[in-house]
Amino acid sequence: MAQVVMKDLNKKYDEVHAVKDVNLHIRDKEFVVLVGPSGCGKSTTLRMVAGLEEISGGEIVIGDRVVNDLPPKDRDIAMVFQNYALYPHMTVYDNMAFGLKMRKFPKAEIEKRVQDAADILGIRELLKRKPRQLSGGQRQRVAVGRAIVRHPQVFLFDEPLSNLDAKLRVQMRVELKRLHDRLETTAIYVTHDQVEAMTLGDRVVVMKDGYIQQVGEPLELYGKPANRFVAGFIGSPAMNFAEATVGEENGSVLVTNAGLRMTVPPAKADRMRAYKGQTVTMGVRPEDMHIAAADGRTGLDAVVEVVEPLGSEILLDVMVGNTVMVARVDPTVRAKVHEKIRLNVHPDRLHFFDAKTEQAI
Amino acid sequence: MASSKSRRRDVAIAYALMAPALLLMAGVLAYPIAWEVWASFTDLSPMNDGGPRFVGLANYRALVADPQFWWAATVTVGFAVVTTVVKLAIGIGFALLLVRPFRLRPLVFMAVFLPWAYPASVSVIGWYWTLSPPIPTAYSQFMGTLKYHVDGALGTGAWAFLSVTLFNIWRGSSFIGVFLLAGLNAIPTELFEYALLESKSAWRRFWVVTVPLLKPFLALAVFLSLTTAFSDLSNVWMLTAGRIVFPVIGTHAYWLAIKGGQLGAACALSLALVPFLLVVLFLLFRAFDRAERPVAAPKAAT
Repeated sequence: MAQVVMKDLNKKYDEVHAVKDVNLHIRDKEFVVLVGPSGCGKSTTLRMVAGLEEISGGEIVIGDRVVNDLPPKDRDIAMVFQNYALYPHMTVYDNMAFGLKMRKFPKAEIEKRVQDAADILGIRELLKRKPRQLSGGQRQRVAVGRAIVRHPQVFLFDEPLSNLDAKLRVQMRVELKRLHDRLETTAIYVTHDQVEAMTLGDRVVVMKDGYIQQVGEPLELYGKPANRFVAGFIGSPAMNFAEATVGEENGSVLVTNAGLRMTVPPAKADRMRAYKGQTVTMGVRPEDMHIAAADGRTGLDAVVEVVEPLGSEILLDVMVGNTVMVARVDPTVRAKVHEKIRLNVHPDRLHFFDAKTEQAI
Repeated sequence: MASSKSRRRDVAIAYALMAPALLLMAGVLAYPIAWEVWASFTDLSPMNDGGPRFVGLANYRALVADPQFWWAATVTVGFAVVTTVVKLAIGIGFALLLVRPFRLRPLVFMAVFLPWAYPASVSVIGWYWTLSPPIPTAYSQFMGTLKYHVDGALGTGAWAFLSVTLFNIWRGSSFIGVFLLAGLNAIPTELFEYALLESKSAWRRFWVVTVPLLKPFLALAVFLSLTTAFSDLSNVWMLTAGRIVFPVIGTHAYWLAIKGGQLGAACALSLALVPFLLVVLFLLFRAFDRAERPVAAPKAAT
């Protein structure tokens, strides 16, 4: 059972408290992605699992052992670094065989494992080359191959695709997902790219300032963000936020502000009633906005500022009152700059956050 | 093609720009060396009447037959090799000590760097006087006894030569230490971190990972160490006004030429170690040169 459990994990560097009370249970064979902005503690957490950082507080369990005091070599993990960390003076074969040689595996076994991994990754012809003769994508594959040959209990990925160009990143993402399906090994993957997180993770852990903000399956994070940060972090283009005052009219709860007037869905109405008269943060995703008829009691009055035609859709950068918003509309929409348009959103697609605590209402 | 014509012009301009430096090198380096090689094949001497006569390899043959030459050569080469090995060992130790931050690191770094930073002309005298105190001190009797025994066993001037050796090691290991520290810092941390993940033995990690990655720096360190060993010998002799009388090639040649007037023989003597040095330098440059011919150009996609 290659589960990874973090209990009250903490990391302090002198003054900086980098990782705060992280509690996470990663199941066997699960692919978990730690995602968040720079400095959120995701890499530090990963490095503590690897043994490259001392644990300041709490414990880490890999399989059924507490590994706090175990040297990295004995933890049965394999890591892929952002900069590949290939030894320039060794051939691809020697690089891949390095861990096995250090552990005194018999030559025949090493040969078999390296050839198998090379086949899986399609780098058979590169085995005699040196890293400097390889492209970025090829080096990345060698780094992954080096981890595969170890047959570890857990794979650790530290932003492995960050150094690749955009197109290659998309390709490698798919390959990594296929690899995980094939190898069925627990994996912890760190990235700052929320698209990678959504496409690769069985579950996604969003971190900020050392704390876990939310853990869940990708669509759960997308549809039910626990706070404003997660809501704004997941999804591209990012969710639009606007301040709005809560009011009540004829029994239904409304939020209003300059240029906007939206009905709160019945499911949230009771909770929102508690905020009557106060300001809350309303969130709406660009893809949930559509052009609406000019009449109608609810909606957003927007002035078009920029039109971004992407082919498959059009992004409209608009001003609603004093707030800048982005709307994703059908490619057939004809909108001109400075044009006044009406947008509307289905009430069920609205998100509301407490203005002070930023928690979802 | 038009481009090859402009390229030829570029090359011509490059040579023209290099011409002053090339002329300087030719005048200051190439010409004297060529003269020295020619002189070593003659019996050039102010004491001979008429011009210098070509004597072929006679000077060299005389050297090979002279046991004093072999003793001086052994001392010179031994000095270079021993000091280099010791400097390298101590230097690597300093570099490994200083590569990761710790509480008193700035102070330790200063202590390591001072021997090199301190003026050599002063420290060489300091070392000489440490081993041969010029005034009565608590340990001067002890030093005197040691000197008597060492000189008795190895010949006059051996004890003083030891002070030069210690000076060279003390100063050189300081420089090599800082130099290799720069080399270690140039290596990406992940390469060491990955080794940590795969091996528990610091000793193994040192030999399998650190040394190969440091190879170009080590090769350069050995090169610098050897050249400074040889230059130190002549500097020190002149600085101490000939107090160091232990036989080494350079000073021996100086005596022969300036005091003895045997210019031809002296030139042969000076050049005697050149073949050995060239071989060593060639091997070092091989180790230093990381450029390799690529097996095949990498494909454009992935």
